Amino acid sequence: MNDESALVLLAGPIGATALYWALYRYYRNTDKSHAFERETTVEAKPVTGSDRKVGTVTGTRARRIAGDNSGAYRARVQRIRNPGQTGAAPSAEDVR
Amino acid sequence: MSDPKPPPPAPARPVDGPGSPHDVPPLPGTLPVDPQTLPDPIRDELEAPDPVAIDTASEELKDGLNRCPKCGGTDIRQRPGTDVLVCLYCRNEWHGERAEEAFGFGEGLDSLTGTVMASGARDIDADAASLMSFKCPACGAEVTINTENAMTARCHWCRHVFGLNEQVANGAVPDAVLPFHIRKEDAVARIRQFVDKRRLFALKAFKEQFTPENVVGVYLPYMVVDGRASAAVAGKGEIKTREYTRTQGKDKTTYYDADVYQVERRVDFTVDDLPLESSSERGHFDIRVNTNNIINTILPFDTKNAVKWNASYLAGFTSEKRDSDIEQLRPRLEDQLLSIARAQVEGSIRRYDRGVRWEQEQLDVHGTRWVSMYLPVWLYSFHQPGKNGGLLHYIAVNGRTGETMGSVPVQQWKLLLAALTVGTFLEGLAITYLATMS
Repeated sequence: MNDESALVLLAGPIGATALYWALYRYYRNTDKSHAFERETTVEAKPVTGSDRKVGTVTGTRARRIAGDNSGAYRARVQRIRNPGQTGAAPSAEDVR
Repeated sequence: MSDPKPPPPAPARPVDGPGSPHDVPPLPGTLPVDPQTLPDPIRDELEAPDPVAIDTASEELKDGLNRCPKCGGTDIRQRPGTDVLVCLYCRNEWHGERAEEAFGFGEGLDSLTGTVMASGARDIDADAASLMSFKCPACGAEVTINTENAMTARCHWCRHVFGLNEQVANGAVPDAVLPFHIRKEDAVARIRQFVDKRRLFALKAFKEQFTPENVVGVYLPYMVVDGRASAAVAGKGEIKTREYTRTQGKDKTTYYDADVYQVERRVDFTVDDLPLESSSERGHFDIRVNTNNIINTILPFDTKNAVKWNASYLAGFTSEKRDSDIEQLRPRLEDQLLSIARAQVEGSIRRYDRGVRWEQEQLDVHGTRWVSMYLPVWLYSFHQPGKNGGLLHYIAVNGRTGETMGSVPVQQWKLLLAALTVGTFLEGLAITYLATMS
């Protein structure tokens, strides 16, 4: 059996699981929350920053960068704290 | 050449005594020096009381009685669907003053510094009781209000209506209240419509006991926060430079080449009226143990229209009490500000067509302003028995916008049966397809 046939045979289990989760979420709405990122009035000054080329990737089969989190606003990454920041004591993970 | 002498050693840190690690810190609120021995200006500053930035307490309501400005009656209700108060004795109507204008909550976002709080957002006294008593000035009876779930009560002797209006101690009295606009009949219709679309796989007991008329109007406690912050993020981004396909036998594989960039972004921003649940129970979003995310989903409210606190708006509704102080809510605020910053910078990284992986983030909160507010929610609840006390399902309707969201308990075996049936059908199709191809 080749790869394509194996993929076709997975249609049953994948379809059953997808239907289960889709219906479960429709009933229980466990994935819903207030979209404060879009629904709060935010006045932002123009975004500033820098872009510096640091290397190249050749011959990868991945369509996206590993660990792409540009759209996952709520996924927290390493927090860098200012030593003098109010309400936040420097922690062991501080790097600056 | 002179002989370089080593510098004298620095004095050793004291191992005990003032300033050493063994020094016992002073008790909170005490000073190590007697202020009386200090010059006048310094003493005045040290002895000045802690400022409450914006005083939202109502002097005229301190005795618990909200009197009609025309006849002095105390039986005052909200006219349903409006922000108007009506005296049930003389039918006089008047409009509550908007808190936004009355206290200047909407101004000065660009120059917010430090932590500014309204008087209703002060820290809750640890030993304050839930039961508040008033002495009726007309007949002398004691009228007790349980602030856990009510803000008004009627004197059982002379029928005066008392409201809890004093911003003291237990945090039950907020700075402002947003009155209900959606009527009960409307909320019932919305809940019925929501459930009608989810009947097929709903738990049998839920369908049998479904009575949306049991919906309860509840004022839930929130902190509405304005903030001024700067955030910075750093990470790696990739831009595709080449896409090509290699063929090995029958298999074709696509490969990509890309340039990798170190990406850094910074944004300064202000947020206006970000609502945070200030009841720790409601602010606990763990979908394994509760369905509080449902109540969170119906945010936001038109908090700009909130009126100055007046317990008369709460007559006929229940309420929940705040139990979180500003410092307890600060981590959640910072988390949300970081998320907002990440959303703001997204537009500036469009050129990275293979995406960006943020690796570090930084937040400086320059200033915040906290206002305690009661927001109106229609709540229908259903308790599903189960392990660890079961699960309480909510269907919530926003008392201003009518936005409806809910959690309907599922009949697991029905759902599994439907999924297995569809899976079996798809598998049958797949086998037929493979049989015809070979």
